[in-house]
Amino acid sequence: MPIRKHWLVAAMCGAAAAAVVMLRVFDPATSGIFPPCPVRYLTGWYCPGCGSLRAIHQLLHGNLRAAWAMNPLTVILLPFVAYGVASSALLELRGQGLPQPFLRAMWIRALCAAIILFGIVRNLPTHPFDWLAPGAMLHL
Amino acid sequence: MFCTQCGAGNADNAAVCVQCGRSLQGAAPGAALPVQGVPGQGVVLPPGVVVQNYLVFAILATIFCCLPAGIPAIVYAAQVNEKLRAGDLAGATAASNNAKLWCMISAGAFLGIAFIYGMVLLIGILLSVSHSN
Repeated sequence: MPIRKHWLVAAMCGAAAAAVVMLRVFDPATSGIFPPCPVRYLTGWYCPGCGSLRAIHQLLHGNLRAAWAMNPLTVILLPFVAYGVASSALLELRGQGLPQPFLRAMWIRALCAAIILFGIVRNLPTHPFDWLAPGAMLHL
Repeated sequence: MFCTQCGAGNADNAAVCVQCGRSLQGAAPGAALPVQGVPGQGVVLPPGVVVQNYLVFAILATIFCCLPAGIPAIVYAAQVNEKLRAGDLAGATAASNNAKLWCMISAGAFLGIAFIYGMVLLIGILLSVSHSN
């Protein structure tokens, strides 16, 4: 395996660790150091990922309820994504990833549809859909 | 032996596939499986070759940086698994490359936006410092 890939994996691990420290120390809701969501900035609409940085900040402080209010989709997907990223890193380093199911294409497409649907629904102005907007569930 | 579902190389005495978890019991040990795909049985790959679908990076791209580039990446990730399952190695590899490309576009967009935002912040700080002097 080329040495270059070790550096790539090391650089990505370093970037991920730096992101975790930044998100633990600074709250994206109040500090201006994190860029706004480009979709929200340009269109005024919430995207499926809006609130995900704030959600991770709350998770890093142990506030599952606040994290869920910011972006429930991120809270659900994060453990799977973390496992998948760890698997990809191991695949690069030792040529073998972590055990995982082979997903049928229909399930991946269903996930894609669910993400898009979540993005649409959280912009609807009526209950209960607007409770999915970032932070709305904190005021229930 | 090679997994008949995802094509990953496994030890001859493995009970389940290390890549996809499919049971390997009942498969003849060391059976000479064809390298090209068998429709309905999945692609059988040479040892050490993995056709990645980059699904986790596609999801990361969609919810953390750039929705417009993340969605095509997920669509291509689905195509990778569909074609692997159908035994179409060439199609799966092409879809894999497209999934990777869209993840890269998304990462590039993320870095570009982060760079521009950082520059705007820096200029703002410099201006406020020069005004206060």
